[in-house]
Amino acid sequence: MELLELIRNGEFRHFGGGRIESACGPLAAVDPSKLKMTVASGVSASIVILHTRADETVVDIELEPGASLVVDDLYLAETFAEVRIRQAADSRCRLTTVELQSANADYDIDLDGAGASFEAGGVFVGSDSDHCVVDLTTRHNVPDCTSSSMVKGVVSGKATGEFRGHVYVAPDAQRTDARQQSRNIELGDNAHVITKPQLEIYADDVKCSHGATVGQIDDDAVLYMRQRGLSEAEARRLQIEGFVSDVVMRCSVDESFREALNGCVKTKLERL
Amino acid sequence: MLSVKNLHARVADKEILKGIDLEVKAGEVHAIMGPNGSGKSTLASVLAGNEKYTVTEGEVLFEGRNLLELPVEERARMGLFLGFQYPVEIPGVTMANFMKMAVGEIRKYRGEEPLTAAEFLRMMREKCAIVELDTRMTSRAVNEGFSGGEKKKNEIFQMAMLEPKLAILDETDSGLDIDALRIVATGVTKLRTPENATVVITHYQRLLDYIVPDYVHVLYKGRIIYSGDKTLALKLEKEGYDWLINDYKE
Repeated sequence: MELLELIRNGEFRHFGGGRIESACGPLAAVDPSKLKMTVASGVSASIVILHTRADETVVDIELEPGASLVVDDLYLAETFAEVRIRQAADSRCRLTTVELQSANADYDIDLDGAGASFEAGGVFVGSDSDHCVVDLTTRHNVPDCTSSSMVKGVVSGKATGEFRGHVYVAPDAQRTDARQQSRNIELGDNAHVITKPQLEIYADDVKCSHGATVGQIDDDAVLYMRQRGLSEAEARRLQIEGFVSDVVMRCSVDESFREALNGCVKTKLERL
Repeated sequence: MLSVKNLHARVADKEILKGIDLEVKAGEVHAIMGPNGSGKSTLASVLAGNEKYTVTEGEVLFEGRNLLELPVEERARMGLFLGFQYPVEIPGVTMANFMKMAVGEIRKYRGEEPLTAAEFLRMMREKCAIVELDTRMTSRAVNEGFSGGEKKKNEIFQMAMLEPKLAILDETDSGLDIDALRIVATGVTKLRTPENATVVITHYQRLLDYIVPDYVHVLYKGRIIYSGDKTLALKLEKEGYDWLINDYKE
């Protein structure tokens, strides 16, 4: 598998857990069953977590004050994952999640220090009888934190995709800024998306928004592309590639890794 | 090149085209004018192959082939181009990628070798220049966030890339300011050759100051009720349609 090759031969450092105390190159963890990670105060780090075989995994991440972390969490195999991220004051976390198989990714985010910010972008692509789940709980436990998420889904065949989003704002978490969006495309009558973005707000001075859409292929766009000479199948595929491309492009490791991931996504889209 | 005979078409239960006859030869420019709702855009959509419309009667030959039995993409590959009145936004798909695929399909159909990456880039640069489009536009998503003027310039850019035999431009002038109109119309004129033809659907005579038509047709209630040369457009601009359509009003 090309992604694995790149991780083994590229500039990634294998990471089995521990505390990151100074700036370092990109880290990678392949099929961890347990991963515990702390990013020390003021340090910036990035990690790719790659799931290549059916497994269960527990990831526990702690960001100390002012720490910053980029997480790319990639599911190429059926996996149950629990990912917990705790963020202290002024820490920043940017998560990208990509599910190309039946997978259940359960994210639990605690914003525990003022000024912390969390941002997530994700996509799941389900074909045949896949069941993809992204469950994202974000807790604003203190004032002045921001969070945003955009999770996209495409399902075909008899696949099911689920997005469960939950934003909790504690009673004194004033000036919270929280946004969550879920956008989905269902291909065919037997594919289903279940999306539940929820807000639970106990503070009164907050900016919170959420939204969800479930749609089909845009027929006008397909017609437009066919009028330029593309076949209907090409036009549909190109449109779906476009729909998921911004999430794939978020993956912040190097160009060749992103290209390889894009290749995996395209291969999956062929199955839709 | 294009021969339309007694074309009738409907959408849902409503008959919109009620017997169109139109002959377009290589090298010609035809303008189709007419009041709102007369069927101009429907004619363009039916010729392009939009499956929303059902042809109930008549015949259309394009380069000697029965156009009506061909799917949209095959008509496009044969060299029929439709400039959309409302170009569609396609998020996440860059213009460059879209055009690479479209040019690739059309060259394959013509039996031509695929372009190299360098040739393709040079071609995009040249064609952007025709409509004064910034080449950076090609790395943006198709029509997404484009201004009205950019969208219409982008239609002509695509026309330049695909080098069609017959271009049907559906109200390419609507929503354009004077400068954009001049750029778009000049672009179309630059693309004229003795081998290709253009059908311009428009409400306004001013577009025809730049794209000078050989024939002007007036479409009303699904029929071409009058044809003339370029002076007809000037007369319509001055006098409106009343003198023509009075006889056809119920």
